[in-house]
Amino acid sequence: MKGQRCLSVVLSIAIAAAAVVGANAQDDARRDGRELYLDFGCHQCHGFEGQGSQASPPNPRIAPTPYPFEAFAAFVRTPVRLMPPYSPNVMSDEQLRAIYDYVAAIPEPPGIDDIPALRDL
Amino acid sequence: MANDDKSDGLNRRGFLAGATAAGLAAVPLSKTTNVDAQESNRASAPLPNSMDAAMEHEIPGGYTGEQAKNYFVHHPGSDFMVDVLAALDLDYVALNPGSAFRGFHESILNYGGNRKPEILTCVHEEHAAAIAHGYAKVAKKPMAIACHGTVGIQHAAMAVYNAYADRVPMFILAADHGGIEDRTSQVLWTHTARDPLSPIKDYIKWDDYPRSLQHFGESAVRAYRYALTPPMGPVGIIMETVLQESDVHEHGLAVPEVLAPTLPLGDPNAIEEAADWLANAESPVIYADRFAQDQEGVDLLVELAELLQAPVVDQKGRMNFPNGHHLSQTAGVVGQADVILALEVRDIWGIVNRLQDAPDHTLTRAAPPNARVISLGTTEVNFGSNYQDFTRFYAADLPIAGDAQSSVPYLIEALRERISNRRASQISERRERWASAHASRRQASIDAARYAWNATPISTARMSLELYDLVKDKDWALTAPDNLHGSWETRLWNIERHYQTNGTSGAYGQGYGASSAVGAALGHREHGRLPICITGDGDTMYVPGVHWTAAHHHIPLLTVVHNNRAYHQEVMHVQKTAAWRQRGVDKGVEPGNIIDEPAIDFAALARSMGVFSTGPVASPSELRPALAQAIDVVEQGEPALVDVVSQPR
Ligand code: HEC
Ligand SMILES: Cc1ncc(C[n+]2csc(CCOP(=O)(O)OP(=O)(O)O)c2C)c(N)n1
Repeated sequence: MKGQRCLSVVLSIAIAAAAVVGANAQDDARRDGRELYLDFGCHQCHGFEGQGSQASPPNPRIAPTPYPFEAFAAFVRTPVRLMPPYSPNVMSDEQLRAIYDYVAAIPEPPGIDDIPALRDL
Repeated sequence: MANDDKSDGLNRRGFLAGATAAGLAAVPLSKTTNVDAQESNRASAPLPNSMDAAMEHEIPGGYTGEQAKNYFVHHPGSDFMVDVLAALDLDYVALNPGSAFRGFHESILNYGGNRKPEILTCVHEEHAAAIAHGYAKVAKKPMAIACHGTVGIQHAAMAVYNAYADRVPMFILAADHGGIEDRTSQVLWTHTARDPLSPIKDYIKWDDYPRSLQHFGESAVRAYRYALTPPMGPVGIIMETVLQESDVHEHGLAVPEVLAPTLPLGDPNAIEEAADWLANAESPVIYADRFAQDQEGVDLLVELAELLQAPVVDQKGRMNFPNGHHLSQTAGVVGQADVILALEVRDIWGIVNRLQDAPDHTLTRAAPPNARVISLGTTEVNFGSNYQDFTRFYAADLPIAGDAQSSVPYLIEALRERISNRRASQISERRERWASAHASRRQASIDAARYAWNATPISTARMSLELYDLVKDKDWALTAPDNLHGSWETRLWNIERHYQTNGTSGAYGQGYGASSAVGAALGHREHGRLPICITGDGDTMYVPGVHWTAAHHHIPLLTVVHNNRAYHQEVMHVQKTAAWRQRGVDKGVEPGNIIDEPAIDFAALARSMGVFSTGPVASPSELRPALAQAIDVVEQGEPALVDVVSQPR
């Protein structure tokens, strides 16, 4: 979604400004990871938060990722079934790593008990 | 039905066996509606004598007989056409006006008093057809649409195709200038064709071009019966302009009696054999697609499934099975099946096989190699060959042609005869397994819903489930498919009643969601239900004007636009294709797929047509109050729209 990408650029500028006051390298990496996550279109199928969906085909939740990097990378390079492969010709190992780090760091959502609409289902 | 009274069922079957191949028994589309309809039909059919009497007319004061003949039309043929529609108990005609049916239009208003049928004003013929589609599934009776000759038919075409592919009846009236005598300008020539319905002929069940009023009456009744006999579908009748506009010259005009159509039942011997297979199966699985036509169908399927403790995969062509029932399962169960019972299933091949959407198109078998398939339904009673909605051929091991809902009582009866107490207790051991699979799937769905709950854009789970939280104690009814927004309704709303969902589009022609919803909502209006349409921004923009029809006719309907600012289904396709081709996906897949820059303001759009609206709702905290306010409006009897800026899926 383009609007969202613009939003993330604005966010990046804001973060860049904050860097002057002392943001650390971790923020930069996270920002880069998010940029790459969006540029490679992972969000198109897995959602902006990696939450997945039961669209056709079902796109699994990938964040916070339950996989070690090796398994994650293997999946992206040589997926088993319905996911399209991302070859090194389009995505470098470093980029894949940055995406992984970003996805792995997406925070856990609130628990069911903290969400009345779900708790009362 | 049959098993309330076994002897009655057996009698019917005996009768059917005697009736040889045709095997017809009278079961109306919806008993109540059709019985009522029959009563009113008898009452409303015009008597031949009254038409004859009508042909005598007075000369208005101040005119000679010759002048009166030239100036005035006393008893136009289109009045009789209106009588015919009333006799068919058609409550509504959805139309966009056109001079080719000005005679008919005027008759509806000033002869029929705009009562039966009543006009639904549509700003596009596609809306008219889609409204008729959504309405028929809820109201259990067809709606008429009227099209302005060639151009009107071409505009209606895609929505008619959806209805055809969904096997939904629709009564299409199309106007045409049959002779050259009234083609007063080149405009009328362009609105005329030798075969006006040709653009849609491949996907209507039957059509006719009546040359007289009596012919019109007979063909209309025939068309009505064909439309409602399963497999149901749209039918078309031409209203010739001179026939509409000239004085009636025919004597003894009469509308044939309109009786409820009959439903074809499956072959009794084949049903007995199916019962043998199912009673002895160790792992039977039921698939239901366009099976249940009403609540009775749902109840029958519950009875059948419980008798076998067989999982049911509801393919959602209709609301077939309560999603909270422990036997409600998902497609994966086919991997364990030894006997598969497919009820009105469009794509049996697709149940048994998986063809992967990848460059190598790998084909695998999803069902065990020796699983046997029983098909029961009217999908093989096919009436088209150009459009390929019949899907890939699969040779079922026991194919039974017949209306599934009306055949299932006989199957249940045959099963009861075969299942001994001992067998029943073996079968009941299956229960636990399915109950626990159902419970854990539900829990997994609830857990999945919390991911991205607080995200912006708003998650599809939150969009759907905040709404459910607000309406769950009301008499709600969903009108549109949910597969493009995460299927949350199917997963977590408690769908028990047949009217609570309204099936799918049939041919996946976009624009169905928003527009069929108005027809469905009209069907719900008299029951005082709260109709809800959650549909995409893309879907909405094919048919934005349909919201005006809802406002104009005070049709209560809550529309929630799942606004991901994209044709997202297609985004994913291009994204995937790019990855297969190892192309620079970072260059984006947006042109052609994105509906942004400028972002469409759906709230403003709706407001401009007199529909209450809120949005764009961009932050999750704004969602609940926006929905609550819109629900209030709908409960007061008007349409409302909420534009939710949401995650892609
Ligand atoms: C066109 C849709 C699409 C895109 C784009 C996409 N994926 Fe996937 N992804 C899928 C599907 C579908 C699956 C499930 C595959 C299966 O089980 O057959 C999947 C599975 C995965 C899995 C395995 C998850 C699991 O638990 O099974 C990972 C990890 C993953 N994707 C990461 C990514 C990353 C990283 C990107 C971006 C570089 C990406 N995906 C882009 C569709 C997509
Ligand atoms: C008439 C028509 N045109 C194009 C398509 C292809 N198509 C299938 S889904 C889809 C996207 C519809 O957009 P939207 O309703 O916003 O749903 P989204 O996928 O974005 O959730 C399109 C264009 C179609 N099915 N029908």
